[in-house]
Amino acid sequence: MRSSTTPEPSNARVNADAVEAVQRALAVEHAAEWSYGVASAFVSNGKGLVGEGMDAHRSVRNSTEQMLRDSGATPVPPQPAYRVPKPVTDAASAAALLVIAESDAAAAWRAVLEHSDDPDLRRFAVEALTSAAVLATRWRVVSGQVPHTVAFPGQSG
Amino acid sequence: MTLEASRPGPLSRRRFLALTAGLAAAAPLAAACTSASESAGPDPLVALATRARADADLARAVANTHPDLAAAAGVVAADRTAHAEALEREVRRVQPEGAPAPSGTASAAPGAPASPTAAETGLVEALRAAEKEAKDVVVAVPRYRAGLVGSVAASCASLREVLA
Repeated sequence: MRSSTTPEPSNARVNADAVEAVQRALAVEHAAEWSYGVASAFVSNGKGLVGEGMDAHRSVRNSTEQMLRDSGATPVPPQPAYRVPKPVTDAASAAALLVIAESDAAAAWRAVLEHSDDPDLRRFAVEALTSAAVLATRWRVVSGQVPHTVAFPGQSG
Repeated sequence: MTLEASRPGPLSRRRFLALTAGLAAAAPLAAACTSASESAGPDPLVALATRARADADLARAVANTHPDLAAAAGVVAADRTAHAEALEREVRRVQPEGAPAPSGTASAAPGAPASPTAAETGLVEALRAAEKEAKDVVVAVPRYRAGLVGSVAASCASLREVLA
């Protein structure tokens, strides 16, 4: 049985010097939701995974917006559209886009860990990082991308 | 490969990546300022590194014993070895002399369970425990370490997907 990839909501406060990293993570969450919307029309093998990923990112996005508001910041809005590295035309390119979206999310939440001290914010960030890493792995498995894992999800270079 | 820079407006993924990379690069600088203050008590990363070594040993034993699990267990062995090395590097960086050498001390290399199901379950449970331990540690370590420990936790969760 698989564990849920949707992190629990959080009451974390966003310290002033973490706001920028959290806003960046929120922007990446918006992009991930958009990516799932684009990819959903093309994914054949993994329809359930689309729903799960979409739910996970929607939940993280909602919680993140709430955390920012509670801390006196205005959450960044979504963009109307995003440029994709490669056109999405079939199931394989759709899964590849979602691997990128999840990897971006992992990187953004790892950066929040590196810019925060609040234990609740750390807990939320590590759950969001874990969720993104797990979903990235599942999309690599679905699309046959090897290796299926990276040793340090969210780490650049 | 990116349709970049043609028009301003929507933020591209590439740009997010670049921004995040900049943050990551800044982290080691912060590290240098805070490392002196954390010498009290055992380094919590030693336990994480020891566990990573043990998981890698177990995964290698499973891979050698069960051909059907060899590919997945090989991935676990490789990633957990990478975790151990990175964690040990960080331990040594903060405490060049005093730190015990966590590597190479797995005196009794674990045997793999005889049944493939038990072997797989054993690895999954080991990864679950490692994820939990890393998530407990990530709350209280200095910022520049939190990224590393968080990635280890996320990786352990991902590795279970490969075994599933």
